[in-house]
Amino acid sequence: MRIEVQRVSKRFGAVTALSDVTFCIEPGRRVALIGPNGSGKSTLNRILMGLLTCDGEVRIDGHSPFRDRVEIARGLAYVPQAPPQLGARVDELVAAVTRVRAIERREVERVAAALELDLREQGGHPFRTLSGGMKQKFLIALAFSSGASLLLLDEPTGSLDADARERFFGLFDELDPLTTLILCSHRLEEIRPLVDHVLFLEDGRLVYDGAAASFLDRCTVSVLEVWADESAARWLSSRGFHPTPAGVWVRNATHAEKMKLLQELAAELGSSLRNVNARDLERLDLTVAGRVGGRG
Amino acid sequence: MKREEFVAAAWLDAGEVLRSRWLLLCLCVYTVLGAVFVLVGMRESSVYGFTGTGRVLFSLCHALVIVLPLLALLATGQIVNRARDDGSLELLLSHPIGRTAYLSGVTLVRGFALTAPLALVLGALVFLGAIAFDQPIPFTFLIRAFSIAVAQLVAFVGLGIATSVMVRHPARAITVLFVIWATGVALLDFAGIALMLRWRIPAQAVFVLAALNPVQAARMALLSSAEPSLATLGPVGFYLANRVGSTALFVIGLVWPVFVGVSAWLAAWWAFCRGDLV
Repeated sequence: MRIEVQRVSKRFGAVTALSDVTFCIEPGRRVALIGPNGSGKSTLNRILMGLLTCDGEVRIDGHSPFRDRVEIARGLAYVPQAPPQLGARVDELVAAVTRVRAIERREVERVAAALELDLREQGGHPFRTLSGGMKQKFLIALAFSSGASLLLLDEPTGSLDADARERFFGLFDELDPLTTLILCSHRLEEIRPLVDHVLFLEDGRLVYDGAAASFLDRCTVSVLEVWADESAARWLSSRGFHPTPAGVWVRNATHAEKMKLLQELAAELGSSLRNVNARDLERLDLTVAGRVGGRG
Repeated sequence: MKREEFVAAAWLDAGEVLRSRWLLLCLCVYTVLGAVFVLVGMRESSVYGFTGTGRVLFSLCHALVIVLPLLALLATGQIVNRARDDGSLELLLSHPIGRTAYLSGVTLVRGFALTAPLALVLGALVFLGAIAFDQPIPFTFLIRAFSIAVAQLVAFVGLGIATSVMVRHPARAITVLFVIWATGVALLDFAGIALMLRWRIPAQAVFVLAALNPVQAARMALLSSAEPSLATLGPVGFYLANRVGSTALFVIGLVWPVFVGVSAWLAAWWAFCRGDLV
């Protein structure tokens, strides 16, 4: 699905949730929608689903999602961040969704099984009594079995364990290449393999709309570990490093800071520097992300 | 609105109604009321000018005029706002289910949950009167009373749905529902008469205001068929019964509540279709 968002703003009373947001997503693009809490990600998702009115213009394959919501919803699937407390039994939900989407129950069962969720076993249980992980697996199974050409996934793996996350990534191999993905996540392990484009929202404004690679380079948080002689302690402290009980000096750094520090370490410490290790943390520094800005 | 969308929404809400024991609650309330009136009223008595099954039905329906609005408001007044609040509306409407299908589905399911047990209990009472007490079946009054009860349910289901759509906070909706019920039930024509005496408002204006209350309309329609006296009907009912006649009161008791309910539902539907859904 092609998504065009033109000068979209949304206010809730005195609060501006989105302000003058404009972007375009071509069919098949895999996009990460990133931003701090309250930056407008959920509002934008809801506007795209046609659940909220807004100023400006939104078109999905040429249709207004609010006016033609049912039409758009046939090709759209959504996984919410926090599963609702639905009292309905899992079987009832499967029946309702398969009915309105005209899909087979066994397809939902197949995707659920791929996530190691046995729908025949869980079918009689009320949805709200399932564990957090099971709820998320079930909602992912409903979304991926729908044949939708637009997937809106809001922190879809928040309650999944490492194995389930791996299986979840495997589901993307089966997707049609023209399936458009909008993924709200701060997890690098999700963003890196799944998306090629980033939209970054801050205070309701779109501050970055560009390639994922350059965004991640700049916003990935790394931890620098330095092994050095005692003579380097003062210099390392002045640069924000802290000693660990094991005698290793550590600090977190953004991509730019990391590159600068690596150069300085080599130039300033000379022979007192014994070893340096830099590894990426699986999260983004959103304060830096806000300064990246522009369109990549 | 496609049939599949309507069925899906209705089916999910029917499950919710069964889980929350609404059907059972309604059945229990109607049955307890019916049982009480059978115990005290099935034997010979002529307080309202007729006896046996007819009197039981009459007493029961008089009580239902007060109880039905409360049940209908409680059954419907927190459907949409609670679903908004807990995220289930967002999830449900992320699937291809239309707004009209959703609102129609939940409305009809709740309406059925309130009406079906009533039909069952009224039928059982008549059957009991015929079998156990050898009473004739008062078909005319039965149909008349059931029609008025259904009209009451339509009025207050519509008002309840409108509250659940327009009052976004479920806790605040409770207050609004109570005000609606109190206005409808506690303020029949008596408050209007007090106003008339206090500020010398024209009698016709007060009568019209009181008659606009769907509970009052139903009460007048019910009582006018049995005992059109000042003592039982009250000033407004007595005035209107004498002015427009018993049949017209019955028609008003049917048409006006249905009009109120349908209008409220249409207002809710309009707001639901044009405003933010979550």
